[in-house]
Amino acid sequence: MNKALRISHVGLRGIVGQGLTATHVLEFAAAFGTFLEPGRPVILGRDPRLSGHMIREGVLASLLACGHDIIDLGVVSTPVVQHAIQRLDAAGGIAISASHNTIDWNALRFFGPSGIYLNTAEAGELLDIYHLRRFRFAPWDQLGKLTVTTDAIDTYLDGLARVFDLARIRPLRVVVDCCNGASALILRRMNERFGCGFILINERVDGRTVAHTPNTSASIVELQLAPLMQPLQADAGFLFDMDADRVALADEQGRGISEEMVLPLLADSLLPASPGKLIIANLSSTALLEDVAARHGGRVLRVPVGRQAAIDALSSYRPEQIALAGEGTGAVMMPQFRFVYDGIASMLAILHTICDRGQPLSRILAGYPRHHILKAEVPLTSPHIPALLEELQELFPDGEMDRSDGLRIAWPDRWFHVRVSQTEPIIRVIAEQRDSEPRELFETLLDRVRRWN
Amino acid sequence: MAREHLLKVGVSGVRGVIGGFLTPGLAASFAQAFGTYVGQGRVVLGRDTRTSGPMLTHAVNCGLLAAGCEVIDLGVVPTPTIQIYVAHRKARGGIALTASHNPPEYNALKLFNHEGLFFNQYERSELLDLFHQSQFTQAGNGEIRSVTSDLTTAPALHFDRVLRHVDLGRIRRRRFRVALDGVNGAGSAMSVEFLGTVLATHLEAIAVDPTQVFPRIAEPRPDTLTELAALVRRTGADIGFGQDPDGDRLAVCDENGTVLDNDDVLALAVQRALAHTPGDVVVNLTTSATIDDIAAQYGCKVHRTPVGEANVVERMQAVKATIGGEGSSGGIIFPAVHLCRDSYTAMALLLDLMAETGQTVSELVAALPRYTRLAGKVPFEHGRLGTLMQALAESFPDAQTNRTDGLKLQWEGRWLHVRSSNTEPLLRLAVEARTPEQAQALFDDAWRRLTV
Repeated sequence: MNKALRISHVGLRGIVGQGLTATHVLEFAAAFGTFLEPGRPVILGRDPRLSGHMIREGVLASLLACGHDIIDLGVVSTPVVQHAIQRLDAAGGIAISASHNTIDWNALRFFGPSGIYLNTAEAGELLDIYHLRRFRFAPWDQLGKLTVTTDAIDTYLDGLARVFDLARIRPLRVVVDCCNGASALILRRMNERFGCGFILINERVDGRTVAHTPNTSASIVELQLAPLMQPLQADAGFLFDMDADRVALADEQGRGISEEMVLPLLADSLLPASPGKLIIANLSSTALLEDVAARHGGRVLRVPVGRQAAIDALSSYRPEQIALAGEGTGAVMMPQFRFVYDGIASMLAILHTICDRGQPLSRILAGYPRHHILKAEVPLTSPHIPALLEELQELFPDGEMDRSDGLRIAWPDRWFHVRVSQTEPIIRVIAEQRDSEPRELFETLLDRVRRWN
Repeated sequence: MAREHLLKVGVSGVRGVIGGFLTPGLAASFAQAFGTYVGQGRVVLGRDTRTSGPMLTHAVNCGLLAAGCEVIDLGVVPTPTIQIYVAHRKARGGIALTASHNPPEYNALKLFNHEGLFFNQYERSELLDLFHQSQFTQAGNGEIRSVTSDLTTAPALHFDRVLRHVDLGRIRRRRFRVALDGVNGAGSAMSVEFLGTVLATHLEAIAVDPTQVFPRIAEPRPDTLTELAALVRRTGADIGFGQDPDGDRLAVCDENGTVLDNDDVLALAVQRALAHTPGDVVVNLTTSATIDDIAAQYGCKVHRTPVGEANVVERMQAVKATIGGEGSSGGIIFPAVHLCRDSYTAMALLLDLMAETGQTVSELVAALPRYTRLAGKVPFEHGRLGTLMQALAESFPDAQTNRTDGLKLQWEGRWLHVRSSNTEPLLRLAVEARTPEQAQALFDDAWRRLTV
């Protein structure tokens, strides 16, 4: 299987040159130009990857050819693009960013008029237009116009400053690993404008090299960020991916905190102000969420894994019913930001929590019930996944079952989830248990899964 | 029924109508093929003032960057300015986004090699094969370069090249009164600077706003330059110049407000060039015999090529010609400046000729050998072309024939030339003779035989 190119409901993604070519970019952007209603501008932004230069030119050409005016924000985080769509009342937008993928990847991410990712129905329509290749090009005298702006980050920061009291977090000593991505530009500006004093590492932004894989997994945090915490006497450490929609963290004792913890931490700080509201999380996220929700009378809605399911769930509730939505990857959407995955907003919310509690991060984390999670990937070779899931279902008849994405069975103190990955040819096996490792359950599952593969 | 040629992908590049025919995807692919062909390095890009220019600039940038090239964007500049810049910067090649004299809904990619010359026939067909094979260089993240702009140095470089070959002091001292119609094209700003400042003429200019659409038919011809002729008469100008949108072609109006036959403009330039530097002359088959007479005065040789700037340029390079051009389309190619059609060279040579001789344009033209030329277009059905040509040749057994581009029949003092258009299903008929009566008789005879 050639994984260097993937065209799906989440857009276009691939290794530039190897799978993702200029032709893909031009055609996909033309499909988006055909999909969007004419009349309002389209917002464009990109992460610092060098291939963004090439992709930007292709996107501009196709959108202008479809008659859309474009406002180009330059190198910004993906949330900045989404905020600009809302603020400028745009028809939609495109972020050129492969986010947490390695530097050789890039992607097009599409947003509708509210700055939210296209839902599955909209994305399906876009895909159909792409596959039909009957694009609606404008005649020579009705082509679009390009405007380049440089104030998008400042306007975004104005928005953050209205929601968060930036002066309050100033006393905290915060180290940030920017992973040579767009967050460096934003945080540098926060230091200049608000005197935030963030200590930035891997903050060089040249689009050619990154200090390490730009993903927000706990292992990267352990390796890159955590060892700096004590020497720098930092209160908290954060690590972003290239376009700063995801965040991971380290505590003041130099421990890498699982990316799974971002969502419960934020739930704990937001739910008191919004009792009884929903937390939208996926089936693979920690059961700590239920514990936190129970404390504040909230409720957890479990949806299939992947951004698309979360977006679809959002669109089937009223915004005031939802406290928070997110994934175990450190990608979290908050209603204050009209549901945009925003790593920097998540970081500010966590820093606020530290200030509110007056406790070090490690103490706050220690206050939660301890859940132990075991994860494995098994190469997918068998075509008999449904039969495997049937077998597991029969093996564990007593739990609460969810079949909306593979098989998840939950008991009061433990759960497991077996599913096929959407992005790679593997089966993911996850088991979690309160207070101790679910070693026996996990081994049983792995044994069965391997026997079918 | 004549078909509309909304898109043409061929050896001369890509040309088509904006809005679904010449799409950004097609332009980007062609640019990526070009980048693959010329190799990773600098490629120079410029455009005329068409509304589709910015959109196509982005598409071409995309294709070139994807092939690992670095782009130098000159913005809105004449085509010859791009060509001169390519050679000067030792770039891998250049692309001009212009459909030259075609209507505003058209645009095209003109391609140049590392010397800033049109691709020769071998290069053109290799590139076209590469495009169709779609085996492009695909640069990875680390190999992707950027687009840089140079919006200032190219015009001065171009002026400098031209001015080496005329007596600037002599032109400036005359303080000529000059009228200009820039068709709101790529040369608008540059021509005002060149004529008004560099050559110190009293300039009266119309249609020199590059943000506006073409105010007339883009091809500069006697019937499209009535505004220029009126301007000359109104302002008492010594000469009027009419450019095309990408500043390679030039038409000229005399001090009486009469727009010259483009063949006569070429003849004057040839005269001026050979007087200073005797050498070979290259023109296309449809260019006037006036050129032969002038060359004979200087003992120089004339070479004839099929119609098309690339053909003329290729032969000029081969024979190291002093000057060349294509009469009817209004183009002068003076290799001492650069091997390309260039309206700025033409303007400077003509003003220098006027300064040198002290004669008016009408006096200079009156001294040229006199011929009458007639031209027409005949629609034809595909498949009948061979039969028509054959019948025509057989009906004039006494003529000298040339079949390198359609059919040219030649007698002492007159000729006729029939060729199929490259862009439309039309036959182009041109005749020339020493008197109007002879010319009309020959034209009518040929017309009758072609329309049976």
